[in-house]
Amino acid sequence: MRALFDVLKTKRSLVIAVCVSVFVFVLAVWLPNLQLLVAFWADSGVPVIDKVALSLKLVPSITTNFTLLSALYTVLIAVLAGINTALIVELIRNRRMVAGGVTAGGVGIVAGALGVGCAACGSLILTALVGTTVGTGVLAFLPLGGGEFGILGVGLLGYATYLLLKQINKTTCEITL
Amino acid sequence: MKPVSKDDHIRGNPDASVKIVEYSDTECPFCKRFHPTMLQVMDEYGKDGKVAWVYRHFPLDQLHSKARKEAEATECAAELGGNDTFWSYLDRLMEVTPANNGLDLAELPKIAEYVGLDTAKFNECLSSGRYAQKIEKHVQDAIATGGQGTPWSIVVGKNGKKYPLSGAQPYEAVKQLIDSALAGK
Repeated sequence: MRALFDVLKTKRSLVIAVCVSVFVFVLAVWLPNLQLLVAFWADSGVPVIDKVALSLKLVPSITTNFTLLSALYTVLIAVLAGINTALIVELIRNRRMVAGGVTAGGVGIVAGALGVGCAACGSLILTALVGTTVGTGVLAFLPLGGGEFGILGVGLLGYATYLLLKQINKTTCEITL
Repeated sequence: MKPVSKDDHIRGNPDASVKIVEYSDTECPFCKRFHPTMLQVMDEYGKDGKVAWVYRHFPLDQLHSKARKEAEATECAAELGGNDTFWSYLDRLMEVTPANNGLDLAELPKIAEYVGLDTAKFNECLSSGRYAQKIEKHVQDAIATGGQGTPWSIVVGKNGKKYPLSGAQPYEAVKQLIDSALAGK
């Protein structure tokens, strides 16, 4: 834990962590309406100020289009993704191995994204991948209605953070046979 | 998307510049949450005929097994009492259902009575299943438009441009979309 605070104490790491967290959070909230945003931004007849306004006004949907559980894991995934990125940058700067943490973190973000769309009664990404009928069938089978993906995402990102911190804490070079 | 026609349930001016076609599931908690948002939209834009609300059924059977029967109940309300009664029935249904398949189906005739319908005729209509095919057509239309969950709405501007809106979005976001659609060239 001390290593985490040491890394985030530097201005560069803190900025990276905050920027990535905000980016992941906003992307997760926009995810159900990416199609709308693309169409809106591509529409030359819509003033830029309206495009920006709509994009910003969709962000509070974390309170209307998410359950308490899905809002919670969405925030956690965003925060953990930011921390993971800052740790990876720190490790790369020090030329250390990051493979395990990056893999776990990447799988965690994908798993978390599968849970995000469940907010609107039918997981967006899941139903997009396998169709509405199969997708909602899978959700009906899951006790938390797809929240499992988000929890798995938080777990994997937490594990990735642990692996990255372990790497940062290493003070000796190990012999590889 | 199937064009809006007189066969649709339309709240407000059928010739409004902007039409919001909502595909909804009466047992989806986010549809229940979105319903007051749409009522607010109609309160602000419906009175002067700028916006019309078109309601189509999109029951997600795997998640909410009761929603399809409830959709049929709203159609029976429309058959027996007309368009206004359809909306009164829908408003009341959205108000009383706890969502997530929580409504006791025995409530459906009680809602019919509440909105002033003959319950015997309503029960006969509901048990006949004569609207099952219509509901299925709505579902297929929802899927064809890209609907993957509910509520799924399509805002149709006066220039014919369509903006898909997924989920129970905040009123301010819906308002922004309507204002842009009204101003669309």
